[in-house]
Amino acid sequence: MTEVVTDQTPPLLNGPTDKEKKYDRQLRLWAANGQQALEDAHILLLNSGSGTVGVETLKNLVLPGIGKFTIADSSVVTEADLGVNFFLDEESLGQSRAECCVRLLQELNPDVKGDWFPKQKGEELENLLSVDQKYTLIMYSLPIDPRSLALVQEYSRQQKIPLVALHSAGFYSYFRIILPGSFPIVDTHPDSTATTDLRLLNPWPELSDFAAKLTDNIENLSALEHGHIPYVVLLLYYLKRWKESHGNYPTTYQDKKAFREFVSAGARTDNPEGGEENFDEAVAAVLKTVTVPSIPSSVKAVFDHKPDDAESSSSFWIIADAVKRFYEKHNELPLPGSVPDMKAQSSVYVQLQNIYKAKARQDVAEVLETVRSHPHGNEIDIGEVETFCKNAAFIKLIHGADASPVSIQTIAENEFQSDENAPLTMMPLSLLPIYLALNATSHVPSASASDILAIISKDIPDAASNPRIVKVAEEVARANGGELHNISALTGGMASQEVIKIITKQYIPIDNTCIFDGITSRTQVLRI
Amino acid sequence: MLKIWSMQQDANADAAAGTKKKKVTAAQLRIQKDLSELALPSTMKTDFPDPDDTLNFTLTIEPDEGMYKGGRFHFTFAIPQSFPHEAPKVKCTQKIYHPNIDLDGNVCLNILREDWKPVLNLQAVIIGLQFLFLEPNASDPLNKEAAEDLRSNREGFKRNVRSAMGGGSVKHQTFERVLKT
Amino acid sequence: MSQPVMVASTLQAPTVPDSRWIYLDNVRQKKGPFTDEESFDASGEAVSAMEKMKLLVIGAGGLGCEILKDLALSGFKDIHVIDMDTIDVSNLNRQFLFRQSDVGKSKAEVAARFVEKRVKGVSITPHNCKIQDKDDEFYMQFNIVICGLDSIEARRWINSTLVDLVDNENPESLKPLIDGGTEGFKGQSRVIFPTMTSCIECQLDMHAPRAAVPLCTLATIPRQPEHCIEWAHIMAWEQEKPFPKLDNDDPEHITWLYKKALARAQEFNISGVTYSLTQGVVKNIIPAIASTNAIIAASCCNEAFKIATSTNPSLGFEENYMMYSGNDSIYTYTFKHEKKDDCPVCGNIARNMEIDPNFTLEEFIESLAARPEAQLKKPSIRSEQKTIYMQSPESLELKTRPNLVKKMGELVEDGEEIGVSDPSLGSVNFKYRLRFSKPFKSH
Repeated sequence: MTEVVTDQTPPLLNGPTDKEKKYDRQLRLWAANGQQALEDAHILLLNSGSGTVGVETLKNLVLPGIGKFTIADSSVVTEADLGVNFFLDEESLGQSRAECCVRLLQELNPDVKGDWFPKQKGEELENLLSVDQKYTLIMYSLPIDPRSLALVQEYSRQQKIPLVALHSAGFYSYFRIILPGSFPIVDTHPDSTATTDLRLLNPWPELSDFAAKLTDNIENLSALEHGHIPYVVLLLYYLKRWKESHGNYPTTYQDKKAFREFVSAGARTDNPEGGEENFDEAVAAVLKTVTVPSIPSSVKAVFDHKPDDAESSSSFWIIADAVKRFYEKHNELPLPGSVPDMKAQSSVYVQLQNIYKAKARQDVAEVLETVRSHPHGNEIDIGEVETFCKNAAFIKLIHGADASPVSIQTIAENEFQSDENAPLTMMPLSLLPIYLALNATSHVPSASASDILAIISKDIPDAASNPRIVKVAEEVARANGGELHNISALTGGMASQEVIKIITKQYIPIDNTCIFDGITSRTQVLRI
Repeated sequence: MLKIWSMQQDANADAAAGTKKKKVTAAQLRIQKDLSELALPSTMKTDFPDPDDTLNFTLTIEPDEGMYKGGRFHFTFAIPQSFPHEAPKVKCTQKIYHPNIDLDGNVCLNILREDWKPVLNLQAVIIGLQFLFLEPNASDPLNKEAAEDLRSNREGFKRNVRSAMGGGSVKHQTFERVLKT
Repeated sequence: MSQPVMVASTLQAPTVPDSRWIYLDNVRQKKGPFTDEESFDASGEAVSAMEKMKLLVIGAGGLGCEILKDLALSGFKDIHVIDMDTIDVSNLNRQFLFRQSDVGKSKAEVAARFVEKRVKGVSITPHNCKIQDKDDEFYMQFNIVICGLDSIEARRWINSTLVDLVDNENPESLKPLIDGGTEGFKGQSRVIFPTMTSCIECQLDMHAPRAAVPLCTLATIPRQPEHCIEWAHIMAWEQEKPFPKLDNDDPEHITWLYKKALARAQEFNISGVTYSLTQGVVKNIIPAIASTNAIIAASCCNEAFKIATSTNPSLGFEENYMMYSGNDSIYTYTFKHEKKDDCPVCGNIARNMEIDPNFTLEEFIESLAARPEAQLKKPSIRSEQKTIYMQSPESLELKTRPNLVKKMGELVEDGEEIGVSDPSLGSVNFKYRLRFSKPFKSH
């Protein structure tokens, strides 16, 4: 091996910057690019009702350092606000709730800019939305007056920005994310254990040669060498021998079990330990790594998606199309190129790593060539292609709210159907009633249980005969439109996690409504 | 109010009696059990400098066969409060020539680190240590020079072990005299 | 979708004459369809009982700051907080009660002052010390204990302390323990009724141990950047001792380890050693963000509120554990973790035993053999302070043998706890709290 390690530039010996120190614990989750996306973001909160859940959400976005936030809220601070909202104090009484919350939220992080609306009494919301403001995302808390809601909905449609609805009352809450169109994610952060892709059943020549060279005299290797053959090489060696005697690779579970025995029998036991660790690792890896690569359904969804005109010139869809063609040609995705740690001598392991890295680079080069042939392909950064290829098996597409809508009646039917089987399946009951009951109070400060039931019945005719809906309606009525701080803090925590995922385009956001039951301490995510 | 609190209450109950006293910890109790079940061969002895502190003691191994026969080796055992969820911390207090024990006294024994499980006990650790003197392992070394020596020239290694045990020098390192006599 | 039923230009919060706690009272003074009627009390008395409750918050970090805020706005009035740490700049991205100017000050004190100032009428007492510095009497004063900790050790300590506090004759001695924990986008909250339901020790298997790499890999065949860092941390530092004692928070020390690790990585052609990774490995840093802390802390406080008010059923006797994961969509799993009969903490409660302090240890040991639950033939015995008698190994037997002729009153105090193990007990150990049946005559 004469492979030169190219990414060996020693990092600077300087310690972290002040900003890296302050944000250390979150940079470990979303790295500098995620942080930059947050710092470029401007979030608008339309606040109303008892007014806490949105402010709690903002708190968790100000702390990690979003660029800017604006609160629009025409309310004046009352006594009741001070019992539920932490970002108000005694001096706030009688003042603009928006202004007071902005002031106390801004204290949390001097890097973040805050603004409020209205500056003058009676100023219309249109002014805020018509000004040349570029919001990254808009959140609104419920209940909300229908006119304001219509305004932000229209604005988000036009500007193609995500909307987040938040509703918290008593022990219940839900929040809903309305994406303006399809939302693809490359950096989904899969579990590191899930990402191993070793191509053992389809090794390329360099890998096969390397394995053959290390094992061509396997019987006569010294104890040290034999005990340090990397398990990838062991598996390649035994697979080759298996194929020679069986005519094909082990594919069924039975075959794989027999293959495991076959590998295990190769370990030397005439040593003080009575076995060899690298063989143990090889045996343990058989079921997981000796597999024909199949394409995950989430990737298939990306390949099957027909991007519209606006989408098709975006870098994601240009690269996705190139990767799709790569897949059609090779019947496998570009190689991610990482090798898990395994027992091996340092130099042998590094050589093996380099073989995988080289193949990954080669796959990237092929995808890049296709990308470059696209009319807009020259503008795409090679780094983006590399990241895409590395994560190709884990890319994910979330459809916008408008794509293939399902009626609330159909959702309710499905949910209540599975509730009937709940005693058998031991599954928890659907939380849809909570959404229905809260949704019935979307535009009123409070409502009686019978009012709530009457509204639900317009969509779900037999609601009043479903005892769970009746009880949930009573519980919502009990709250009388008031938030409980804990429920709003919890909901604000969940909503801010989702906002961060959307802004950083990392991890996978909900699709699209999350309902929380503070009585049983459960959540449920439903596409509504 | 939670039901369990609304049961008959006796505010004057002498609840505090005896509660100021410290309690035997889970680690103390478990090590007491492990110690009382130890079955040590005549080649090994424990010593407790402070008998009230059973979490810290020394073990002496005097191998009666193998390459290290005639030596007397001392190890310190420090049992963490998190025992048995964490392994005992074991170190050799002498500078010795051994492929699996480095010059600082660190010991490479799987069950002291990566393979430790709460179901393992002190006996298993001590047997493991004894085994290192009977069958030093050249494949997974902590002292690379000693391991290479053992692999390449077993007889030469044996001679080096003897001279190191006698307090001599091997490969520019002077070792501690650990012979019994 | 339902149609709006009301058209108003702005929606104000429901207007009620100056009542600060009106939203809490909506649920505190009105029962709901899921409320347990037997324990719920809609009168003002329940509210004032709640306001008299004393709560202890353990940890004033990411979770602790949130918990203090949440409890203050849940209507609790008497809160204590204990934390030995001082504020570091890397806390500021989530520990929202602290500012740049607070760096270096006590977390407990700054957090307590902040919440007291913000929320009128709440009293927060800070304790700037270790939980182990406080005795049983201290813990006895609280009604509920809520933990926001990052260490398993501290959790196990408070768990066993609260289990040991339980006295069946005194219901007040039972302190519900609510515990939260987070890691990145994931977390969990759980409710424990010590001795009655599964405790932290029963649930230890829920914490995956940190995977360790063999020492010989670090010493001779490193393959990963982490191996180089661990080598610098465990071996190079010990050999070279560049500073008297390793301080993980001292950038000079971390830089030394980083340079060592980097040089070793270059020697073996390993890439990926960075300052940040070095710090992460050496300090075992767990990623932490405000939003996850908010979720878990609020979940804990919601349970505390329900336990204190009976406004709705809480986690505890049935389901007692909520797992939260936000990496891929949102997923929660709320379930019942079963109590373990052989739990070394809650499955092994000290029994009371009356003894005559004038008995010798030898006589006491003979009496153990006659006890129906034990019938111990070869017991070894210790107190927290003393090794009273060990049957083996030989060296300890010899050293403790002189105790056999001593009187029990010389070896233990009235009310002290002893631990007894015996080969016949298998994996079980007994604990006894010794009460003197008559005065001890020392001579």
